[in-house]
Amino acid sequence: MTIAVRAVARLLLAPSLVVAVAIMVKGYSDVGDGFSAGVLVALAVSLQYVAYGRRGAEAALPFLALAPLVAGTGLLLALAVGFFPLLGGKPIFTHWPGPGVHPTRIGTLEMLTAVVFDIGVFLLVVGVLVILVHQLADDEPPAP
Amino acid sequence: MSASWHHAPAWTAVAAAGTAFIASLASWSRGGTAIDIPWAPTLGLRLSFTLDGLGALYCLLASGIGVVVFGYGACYLPLHLEHERESPGAQWRFWPWMALFMAAMMGLALAQDLVLLFVLFDVTAVCSYFLIGFDRDRREARVAALMALVVTGVSAVAVLIAAVLLYTERGTTSIPALLAHSGGGTTMTVAAVLLAVGALAKSAQVPLHFWLPRAMAAPTPVSAYLHSAAMVAAGVLVVGRVHPLLARSQAVLDGLLAVGLASILVGGALALAKDELKQVLAHSTISQYGYVLVLYGIGGPAGAGAAAFYVMTHGIAKSALFMTAGTVTMATGEDRLSRVGGLRKEMPLLATASGVAAATLAALPLTLGFFKDELFFKAALEAAWPMRLAAVGAAALTFAYIGRFWMGLFLGTRRVTAHPVPRLLVVPIAVLAAVALLGGVFVEPFARVAADAARVTHGSVVVLAPAYHLDARPENIMAVAAWALGGLALVVPRVWRSTVRTLATVGDRLGPRRGYTAALTAVDHLSGVLHRLEVRDLRNSVAAVLVPGGVLAALGFAATPTAGAYEIGRIAPGDDLMVVALLALVVIAALAVAAARAHLHLVLAVSVVGFALAAVYAFLGAPDVALVAVVVDTVTSLVFVAAIARLPRDVLDRGGAPPAPPSGRRWRDVLVGAIGGLALFGAIWGFLSRPSLDQGIAAEHIRLAPQAHGQAVVTVILADFRGLDTLAEITVLAVAVVGVATLLRRGRLW
Repeated sequence: MTIAVRAVARLLLAPSLVVAVAIMVKGYSDVGDGFSAGVLVALAVSLQYVAYGRRGAEAALPFLALAPLVAGTGLLLALAVGFFPLLGGKPIFTHWPGPGVHPTRIGTLEMLTAVVFDIGVFLLVVGVLVILVHQLADDEPPAP
Repeated sequence: MSASWHHAPAWTAVAAAGTAFIASLASWSRGGTAIDIPWAPTLGLRLSFTLDGLGALYCLLASGIGVVVFGYGACYLPLHLEHERESPGAQWRFWPWMALFMAAMMGLALAQDLVLLFVLFDVTAVCSYFLIGFDRDRREARVAALMALVVTGVSAVAVLIAAVLLYTERGTTSIPALLAHSGGGTTMTVAAVLLAVGALAKSAQVPLHFWLPRAMAAPTPVSAYLHSAAMVAAGVLVVGRVHPLLARSQAVLDGLLAVGLASILVGGALALAKDELKQVLAHSTISQYGYVLVLYGIGGPAGAGAAAFYVMTHGIAKSALFMTAGTVTMATGEDRLSRVGGLRKEMPLLATASGVAAATLAALPLTLGFFKDELFFKAALEAAWPMRLAAVGAAALTFAYIGRFWMGLFLGTRRVTAHPVPRLLVVPIAVLAAVALLGGVFVEPFARVAADAARVTHGSVVVLAPAYHLDARPENIMAVAAWALGGLALVVPRVWRSTVRTLATVGDRLGPRRGYTAALTAVDHLSGVLHRLEVRDLRNSVAAVLVPGGVLAALGFAATPTAGAYEIGRIAPGDDLMVVALLALVVIAALAVAAARAHLHLVLAVSVVGFALAAVYAFLGAPDVALVAVVVDTVTSLVFVAAIARLPRDVLDRGGAPPAPPSGRRWRDVLVGAIGGLALFGAIWGFLSRPSLDQGIAAEHIRLAPQAHGQAVVTVILADFRGLDTLAEITVLAVAVVGVATLLRRGRLW
């Protein structure tokens, strides 16, 4: 890959993550949700793989190896939000707070279990896609 | 793992069967019990089980024979595994199926709903598949298991179809509710025939009988349980349960009669011809359940009572005889009548016990069996006179083949030495023989169970009073005639030997099993052809998706009213113009895809299509969809680019064009694309211009979103309203990644 691609890939990484987090957090009141945010993160990561090859990308970003953990956490988080209401005798996917109750706010952020579920989706999508890229990627970047 | 640990499941099964027997008996003596809980309320389906007379009979049979056979199997199976050089741990894949089978059989006996009946039918079929195919290293066991599954499983679908027909006609699948309705009609007759077909296959009746002799590849305890008193009894159980439905059409009853007579004849004649011990017994089972069907065909209180009594007596005698065959084979290593003989001196207890069982089947006095034939003859006397002749002939046939079986084993010259066998391989047979003898003296309790069962079948009180009468009443004359004829056949085998051998040969050459094999081979061949067609190359794989999809969509249009649909709307100035412009870009990019000669151009043109469509979504007020489309399209393009970057240089240099197909194929590709594209175009056009755009659930979602504390409706739907769907989808994603890891890196995720 050319120098330009490598430079662009490195430059785009941080802004992509920021945008992804923004999409994620504002998902409940604005465009976007956990899925698109997750794909966006995976996009930024796979750009690193394309530019630097598997070894290069994973040396520069060692936390990528946490992907299976991230995926598992996401799935468990989503499952927990879905099924915890059963413990209280409520139907599955009963979200809290219910209709008409004002949610707690931190700044402009509203605390909702639905958002926690969406975060689970986000983590799972990130983890799964990064694992897939890792599995499919070559060890070395192609010759420029 | 200690050896005793491997015996645990067997004795657990024995204990379970014993408990079930006592519970059934206690519940029946208190007048029965019922469980009725909703299952699928919108369809009116209920899990309804009632322990009535019929249920009690089959529950007692399934659990009572279960105790004895499971006890026998606890001793037999380890020896069998040793013989087959399998580890004792294999018992763990035997007894759970056996216990589940018993549970399903008892559920079947109690079920009061046709759909429930169908489900439990299939549970028994699946259990029998694993039990018949227990010796999975032997090919014939696997073939037999599949055959039993296919024949009984496919015919069980007839029961489901009957249930659906009755549901559309009467609005219920509950058996008592269906029986309460009077009146017939074509639908009712068709449903009755379908119910009978499912039952007949299960009871191994002609012409769907061929699976049972094959199923003898199963270990002996399986045959002694499934193929004497349980699985094959399930069919006649269903006939007994829905008999009033069948009885609304005389033709259906006549059909039962004909099938029953044919089964008696075919099963009996082949039982005379066969040499392998278990084959003789299997054909005898076919023949004996033929009797039961004949009795249900005759109908009335006498027929229903005799049928119930017959099932009970046959179950006891036949499982004892199957276990006899297993014990003899275990002791001598031989499984053919022509190789064994004269075992009475070495195995006196076995000879006596199985002698009683054989006498029970042959209807000799002082056994329970005498009364089964008394009731059988009594029912036959109420039918037309040819039936009486047929009854005597059938009883004589039974006498002959079962006499041949027992005499072949225990009388005559000794041909083999018998090794001593554990006592537990003989005691269960003696227990059943004792029950049969007891019934020969005190028949009243047995008659009461049968009469109570017949009350369910017949719909009103049935009086059964079997007893010994020392006079010249017609039943006694018929019985004596049957013994005389059967005895004569045993003494002069020359009379029938060539006839039955010819019949056996003809059956092998032209029998329905050929049809089954041919059908299976044809289906397999068709599947192979389709598979080869689909995977031959990428174009075929794509066509395999596009053509069926397009054809199905086109069929959908043919069946949908088109009034008002397929209209071209007006284009308002403003956003609409932008949308049209973007769609024009999509068209141009799509054409560019078709015309692209270089790999990279092709990829870029595809992504132009994707991005332009995303922009269309954005203009049409679906920013969430647009966002997803943009990110997904970017990923796709990136993957393509990354893949192209790794292609060998010479492939890219060769003009970069994908290899051109042969000219004939090219037109085919165009055709395939046109079918898929036009069908999709039509579908979308029709959907978008629907005259009354039914908002349906969408409007409700939009209205409720603020109450769920969300402004972005799509996100609220994904995380809240349809959260369970999302959860299922992301679970699929997680499973898929494990699958990829398994294929690529032997399961290592990282």
